[in-house]
Amino acid sequence: MDDFFFSLVLAGISVGSVYALIALGLNLTFWTTRTLNFGQGSLMMLCAVLTVFLSSQGLAMMLAVIGSLLVVAALGMFVERFAIRPALAAGGGSMGWVVSTLGFGIVLQGVAAKYFGSQAMAFPEVLFTAQDYVTVFGQHVSLQYLVVLALSVSLILLLELFVRKTVWGQAVHAVSHDPELALVQGIPVRLIVLGSFIASSLLAGVAGILSAQIGGTVDPAFGFDLVLLGFVAGVLGGMGTSLGALAGGLAVGLISKLVGGYISTAAEHAIAFALLMAMLALRPQGLLGRPEVSKA
Amino acid sequence: MARIGRRGFGALALAGAASGLAAPRVARGQATTIKFGFTAALTGPFNEFGEGIRRGAEIAVEEANKAGGVNGRRVELAEVLDDQLVPDRAVQNMRRILDNREIVGLMAPSGSGPTLAIVDMVQADGRPIINPQAQTPTIVYPNGPDRPPRPNVFSVAISNTVESEKLAAALAGFRNIGILHESTGYGVTGAQLVRAEIQAKRRDARITVESYNQRAQDMTAQLVRVQRAGAEALLVIGLGADFAVIRRTMSRLNMNPALFGTAGAVTVPYIEGAGDLVVGTRAASHASLGRRPMAASAQRFVDLYRAKYGTDRWYGPDPANPLISLAATVGSGYDCINLLIDAIRRAGSTEPAAIIGALEATRDFPGVTSAAISFTPQEHTSLKVGDLGMYEMVKRDGRVVLELRD
Repeated sequence: MDDFFFSLVLAGISVGSVYALIALGLNLTFWTTRTLNFGQGSLMMLCAVLTVFLSSQGLAMMLAVIGSLLVVAALGMFVERFAIRPALAAGGGSMGWVVSTLGFGIVLQGVAAKYFGSQAMAFPEVLFTAQDYVTVFGQHVSLQYLVVLALSVSLILLLELFVRKTVWGQAVHAVSHDPELALVQGIPVRLIVLGSFIASSLLAGVAGILSAQIGGTVDPAFGFDLVLLGFVAGVLGGMGTSLGALAGGLAVGLISKLVGGYISTAAEHAIAFALLMAMLALRPQGLLGRPEVSKA
Repeated sequence: MARIGRRGFGALALAGAASGLAAPRVARGQATTIKFGFTAALTGPFNEFGEGIRRGAEIAVEEANKAGGVNGRRVELAEVLDDQLVPDRAVQNMRRILDNREIVGLMAPSGSGPTLAIVDMVQADGRPIINPQAQTPTIVYPNGPDRPPRPNVFSVAISNTVESEKLAAALAGFRNIGILHESTGYGVTGAQLVRAEIQAKRRDARITVESYNQRAQDMTAQLVRVQRAGAEALLVIGLGADFAVIRRTMSRLNMNPALFGTAGAVTVPYIEGAGDLVVGTRAASHASLGRRPMAASAQRFVDLYRAKYGTDRWYGPDPANPLISLAATVGSGYDCINLLIDAIRRAGSTEPAAIIGALEATRDFPGVTSAAISFTPQEHTSLKVGDLGMYEMVKRDGRVVLELRD
């Protein structure tokens, strides 16, 4: 295989799998509340920054990662309680949650800048180093890229299995279809909504750690661009489906890298948004999504 | 409601009279202070440079006041505002600074974007300004290097012109070269100048140029294009945190060309972000802090900085060997204020025309960025190719340090 093409494909599916994780995080809250947490980028940042901080305090790397994920999970609960629930309670199709989740993200950025500084800080090697690689068919394949890909795909498939095969997964589906009916049938809707925000935040945290490891540094502004691309991936794959998030993420990653490599790096991000516009115009439900039908 | 008795009124009247008498004295005291102002990235992701020049300016002011001030007047940093390297904010800040008519000298912001945004209004105002760090040559020479400079704009920064000459001398040793630059004015101008310099030195040079946006998290596409072109050497024109992402990606792609960086790239974020991968990277930067023994002016600055701030992020962990980047991040601010002070001292006036005249007569002023800073009416940039050194990053005693090679 051509080295040039192979390098682009490998980088594309690796960063694409991170976009897929972010898209899945956005998907989870969309299922349960029809809202998106635009503060996901700041949660990614905070998780990575906390990992740097905790490990610099002498904590073992895995403990630092777990500690950061716990903080981010708690913040997911906070978002649901204070940014989403009041906005939805306002009723009337209020879009207040867009502003409140964005505001939450900006506040997190400010807090991180205040307490950890606004400079880029070095992110430690969590799994493998940038020099570690394996040779596949004579090609140099970075282990960091492979780990990002494997972890992301595994998490997405596990979540898909959970939703399809468990009672709780069916309950999530029920809440997604009709929360009021689900409540009447005794499903703990509030718990499921809360759970979806916790899971969404945890996915953002994992995505933050994985992408910070690729870049090597993290700063308070980290994550914002990634969430935009995760959103594109979610829409492309179809909001409401885990496999759609995976397909959308990989498609955005692959296409943008191939366009960047073969046409122009200046078009790398532009092509993602061009795809978003084309998808919204031609197939609004996305690649694997189903069209929504509203009954009067 | 509280009542004020007759005695209370008396006391108030006395206090009022006292404050009335004291007020003119305070006002006169303020008027006799020589005031400077600047806007810089004091916070935000690029505050390494803005906070750096603030510290340099502060040390210069303290040093001057300890020595009795300037012509019997104390020196003060009266307006120090934060722009976070955002051009719009720099413009607002500079407007506020210029509205303060007591400010007699200015320092430019810590980067090309904000400096280009404010330089026209400062030129129209006429008060002298010295640029510590912004590298774009049009800041001083808007109509080209062979045309007259802006009358009131001076620079001690490493200009892209000088840096590209130094880098091109090293890069011309390779036939196939890649240039990866950030998409800012600094990056674009730098890449154009280096490319032209290399082509002037070596006609058969094959140069691949790619750009990236600051803070991009993945630059694989740019790097594989450079790799595909078969580059034997790669020059990165950008800032340290981005350079770290590039270096790590190169490692994942098994890319091993000779690696070069600009002065802005080989800073602490690069070393922290890329770790041991930085070893072997070569860069052009101020020679002053790499020479042993250092020039007396550089050594004095280093000692003053260490006494005030210790061996911190800007200075580095080794007391005997400060980071080379200290000259650019902090020393440049120190030089700007010292040059203004020196010009006012020689001019015996704080009138803009007098200060500018004195600045243009500056000869061999001992600074940090250069041991002999000079300006003339035509030459408003002080740094020459000889003031730069070519460094190589090596690992010594478990730490990455820059060693002066040329």
